[in-house]
Amino acid sequence: MIKYTLSIMFVICSLFLKGQSTWDIAKIPDDLKKDAIIVIRNEEQFLDIKGVNAAKYDYKITATIFSKAGDDFAVMEEVYDKFSNIYNIKAVLYDAAGNKIKEYKNSDIKDQSLLSDFSIFEDNRVKRLKFVSNTYPYTIEYSFSQDFKGLLYFPQWRDIKDFGMSVEKSSYTIQKDKNYQMKYLSRSGLQVDSTTTAGKTLYKWNSNHVAAVPREPLSIGINNVSSWVTASPNLFEYDGSSGNFDTWKNFGHWIYKLNAGGNNLPDAFKIKIRDLTKNAQSPHEKMAILYRYLQQNTRYVSVQLGIGGFKPVVAEKVATINYGDCKGLSNFMKAMLNEVGIQSHLVMIGNRKPSLNEQYSSIGQANHMILAVPLKNDTTYLECTSSYYPMGFIGYGNANRKVLLITEEGGVLVKTPVYTAEDNYQISKTKITFHNENDIDVLTNTRYGNSQFEDNLRTTLLEPSEQKKKVLEYSTIPIQTFGHYKCEQKDKTKPELEEEIAFKSKPLLSKGGDKLFLLLNQVNRKESVPIKIENRKTFFSVPYAYQDIDEINFELPSGYQVDFIPKDIIIDSEFGTYAATFTFKDGVILYKRAQKMNDKTYPPEKYNEYVDFYKKIVQADKQKAVITKSM
Amino acid sequence: MPYKKLLLPLVMLLITTVDCVQAQKNQKVEYKFGKIQPQDFLINASGIDSAASAIKLFDIGNCYFEISPISKSFVYVYERHVRYKILNKNGYNYANYSIGLHKSNSESKEVLEFMNAATYNMVDGVMTTSKIDKDSKFTEEVNKNTVFKKFTLPNVKEGSIIEYKYKIKSDFIFNLPGWSFQSEIPTLWSEYTITIPEYFDYKFNRSGYYEIAHPVHEKVNASYVTNVQSSATRDRYVAENMPALKDEPFISNLDDYRPSIDFELRSTNFPGQFFNDYTGSWPKIVNAILDDDNFGGYLNKGNYAKNNLKTILSLENDSLKNAKRIYKYIKDNLKWNQNYHYYSTETNPKTIFEKKTGNSADLNLALINFLREAKFNAYPVLISTRSNGKHPGYPVISKFDNVIAAVEIGGNVYFLDATAKDMPFGMIHYENLNHEGFLINVNDKSGGWISTETSFGDESMHVYQLTLDKENKLKGTLTNYFNGYAGLTARNAYRNAINEEDYLKNLKKSKNGLELHNFKILNLDSLDERFIESMDVEIEDHVEEAGNLVYFSPLLYEQTKENPLKHEERIFPVDFAHPIMENCRVVVIIPDDYEIDKLPKGGIFKLPENVGSFTISYQTEGKALLIKSIVTISKSTYSPEEYFDLKELFAAIVEKQAEKIVLKKKI
Repeated sequence: MIKYTLSIMFVICSLFLKGQSTWDIAKIPDDLKKDAIIVIRNEEQFLDIKGVNAAKYDYKITATIFSKAGDDFAVMEEVYDKFSNIYNIKAVLYDAAGNKIKEYKNSDIKDQSLLSDFSIFEDNRVKRLKFVSNTYPYTIEYSFSQDFKGLLYFPQWRDIKDFGMSVEKSSYTIQKDKNYQMKYLSRSGLQVDSTTTAGKTLYKWNSNHVAAVPREPLSIGINNVSSWVTASPNLFEYDGSSGNFDTWKNFGHWIYKLNAGGNNLPDAFKIKIRDLTKNAQSPHEKMAILYRYLQQNTRYVSVQLGIGGFKPVVAEKVATINYGDCKGLSNFMKAMLNEVGIQSHLVMIGNRKPSLNEQYSSIGQANHMILAVPLKNDTTYLECTSSYYPMGFIGYGNANRKVLLITEEGGVLVKTPVYTAEDNYQISKTKITFHNENDIDVLTNTRYGNSQFEDNLRTTLLEPSEQKKKVLEYSTIPIQTFGHYKCEQKDKTKPELEEEIAFKSKPLLSKGGDKLFLLLNQVNRKESVPIKIENRKTFFSVPYAYQDIDEINFELPSGYQVDFIPKDIIIDSEFGTYAATFTFKDGVILYKRAQKMNDKTYPPEKYNEYVDFYKKIVQADKQKAVITKSM
Repeated sequence: MPYKKLLLPLVMLLITTVDCVQAQKNQKVEYKFGKIQPQDFLINASGIDSAASAIKLFDIGNCYFEISPISKSFVYVYERHVRYKILNKNGYNYANYSIGLHKSNSESKEVLEFMNAATYNMVDGVMTTSKIDKDSKFTEEVNKNTVFKKFTLPNVKEGSIIEYKYKIKSDFIFNLPGWSFQSEIPTLWSEYTITIPEYFDYKFNRSGYYEIAHPVHEKVNASYVTNVQSSATRDRYVAENMPALKDEPFISNLDDYRPSIDFELRSTNFPGQFFNDYTGSWPKIVNAILDDDNFGGYLNKGNYAKNNLKTILSLENDSLKNAKRIYKYIKDNLKWNQNYHYYSTETNPKTIFEKKTGNSADLNLALINFLREAKFNAYPVLISTRSNGKHPGYPVISKFDNVIAAVEIGGNVYFLDATAKDMPFGMIHYENLNHEGFLINVNDKSGGWISTETSFGDESMHVYQLTLDKENKLKGTLTNYFNGYAGLTARNAYRNAINEEDYLKNLKKSKNGLELHNFKILNLDSLDERFIESMDVEIEDHVEEAGNLVYFSPLLYEQTKENPLKHEERIFPVDFAHPIMENCRVVVIIPDDYEIDKLPKGGIFKLPENVGSFTISYQTEGKALLIKSIVTISKSTYSPEEYFDLKELFAAIVEKQAEKIVLKKKI
């Protein structure tokens, strides 16, 4: 007992004597350390909107890194361009006890160009500083100011930015003139402090004491777990252009105006395309000729500079250089259609991003442009950056989402076509012929449709030697001697690939004493099950709906008999359906498998059911027949 | 260079079987900008490259010297003229061109003096020319030392011919621009001419898999300064009909096989000045590097080490133990910043210990500095990492990119590398496993090549002790032992996890149907010992039923299911970097009313000269079954001739390990 008291005393004394630095890790509450690689100790964002074309932003963050896995976060990477200068950068490194280890100098900060991986040139730059500590935990801190000249959007805010991150304190404050019009969107239920004094309005969002969420498989993101705000202006000025983002209609109007006069074509070129389409019987046929012309004669090159990030290069220019980015090529296609009397509209779209928010019009939700061509009966959407897609196919990154049509009257929200599970098919037929136990011929024919066409398109573009390498490396049936491989899009107007693979296989019957085992699903096995998670927090989904139908014919060698064949399997769930059937007749085992998956988004509590469903599929895909050789 | 000898017969074979591309067989290649022959549009790739995305019609380089009017000193001029034919849309990337230019913090820089580029299309028998326009030229300021000049060509389609011609002037004459004669697409003609004034002496480093012709080697008159007569040496190298270079798995570095040439300054000899030998021979290189503040200078500043050694060294007179303590001290106090170099960034180890981080030379030279201060025979060993490619073998310093330490204790030489915390004493990082290094003897200022083959393998052992129950579950214990490179990988995986829970999650994810409890690790920080993890396991979904038969693959999660060597032919050696050993023991006790139907046959598979082997055996004792499997890959490198034996060995492993244990239920 005395010992106990003494040690307490000692602790108190040492605390008293040493004092505690502000960023001592001992000050982090235990529940915030659980599952956390990174703890944000304090983060402050302050945006002071000076007017329609100017704002000052002050940012400050202090974060503690607990292990090697968090090192990637120990970096300052702040993006700027000629309209948003960054200055007054300060950066400090602390040890676990919160003692200052190092204060960084300006010369430690690197200034680099920053390009998206699809661009050859952009005007974004980045200020970069990597913090390095040899011991864990350690704490980093940095701050900077940024002046915006012209404002299309405001910095976003989010308390926990990823799995494995907890937050002690984080806040975002926006200050503006009370008459300045802006809007914001935040996680539902998040409170805002709004005060107005002396002609200024302050919005403030706070987040305190948020525990970390461990990483979850198949997650669609932490939007429902973290607090976040995205804010943007209504009236704006940027790079010599101005407009109003208050509604999608007005947003569309701005883009329409930016593009004014961008639809002219050189006279000689006009004659050329009229000539190209002169024998076409219908608008649809004209469109097909022009889309083919686009695919044969232009290529995708992305250059994004200032307002050029939103404004298409004029069609006249594209007609002479024959390259452009998504905007330039879509607009060029629009100009060509226009020339032969077909109306079309540019479309702003979030490629591989969520639908545009109907209630909230802002820049940044769209990252791509395609073209919509409304013909008599239905609208055809054209992806103008692909040299390979059949006309009207836009890929799953563009399908099934709300997009903005840019029309003379302004923006109009519409929805792009949906590819159903049945559309996204993979249908395979395999014939496995055993001449004897070790001499086996395999022939597989597969058709891939829509999204699965898209996933496999790259293969058709490989050189034959590379295709062969790929088959050798990825064939689920082990290959003894390669035969042939073909993969082609036979009908260029249809998003479908036909693939044929032939080879001699290695022995497929695995031995066990005097029995032989034949794995029946040789072509399309699910082999790993996602692990179960208790108390899942985030939503999950399957990237796209699809349907796989596979059939295998095993022709057994003579003198072999089947002792055992599995029973048929049917699995039904809200995630999809699965059926496998096994039959043996006249020396032939016929195996059929059908799996259909839905592409819904599911709530966290459904996840373990999904794992059970998947587990049953993995089990079903392992079924084997038992074969014996008759004496 | 053992592979060169081995490969020579094969090389000849390949050259003669490659189908040459039609046209231009014996005629002199014409290369005037804009002058395209109509028949050029008919050229197509053929033979093994028949589906190439583009073809290089020619690639002509010329490098010579002149006096810069600004700096009044020598600069080199580099001219390149390259012409492609685009065969399909995959080749469109050749229509975007990027030139990197360097500038140092002082005045020295590279300048693009001139650039011309154009696209040519044949439309209905008429050739159209599209020149690059000013909107298609960009300057990307990557950082304060690097600029990219970028160009994108108009009107490029399948069948277009495109060309670029440009000229660079550079103050950086230590290394002249090199030349590669082979690329990822076939090349019809590749030629490089270099004219070097008599005042300079450069080393010519030729490397690669094909021989390159050297038709010109002559002395020419050259006047660099008015009224001063001088001469120069001109060399020309030519390669014709080069096939595309293609990658293979398990290769150290594809660039080792790409025919190329590069240059490094050996000495200068200006009239009226002293002869200045930079790196003419190994002794010169050794002297120069030992005189350098960022190498020899750094090594020799012993004060910081002296002050700290007192607390590091133990009192007992055990040199191995003391060396280990120093090695640990360096690793505990310095963190590698992921950059390789053989020069330190600082001139004194003290500064690095203040910064706590540095490049590989900062760390390893500090290690040598400490060891030497403690009276060890410790030396730097220059290394060309696997990513950097093989060193050509003759005296060129710039072909290295890393330095490690060698220390001699009790007649043994240990290689040390302080860049990774979890490497035991004597182990060097995978990237350094490039078979040899150049040891610099600091004492007598000499140096020599030394084999750096590692004695550490990638060794793992898995021991399962299981009981099968009637629900077909396997219950018992699993113990994994990891040594050498496997130990490093396992420790890394453990440390990179967020916490143990996260680590176990990953472990389970990779092993379907595994439940585990009581997870324990041993020797995480005792690097000289095996890293051991033990756990109680329950394995579901592994034992299957078919009627009254029950069967399973006995190697469980350790079964090698696929042959890593899948390809039918092999041109380059197979390089695993280090030996591999995988050992697995499984004991399964079966229920009383099950009986063993028939066990698979054991077997021993050996490569000729015992450079690899696989053994598998099955035993029973009452209701207990014991399965043992041992795979040994004894060498780090196998020649292309050995490839097929090695592939067969893996085939045997895959086949035998797939054999099942079949049990019968008694009825």
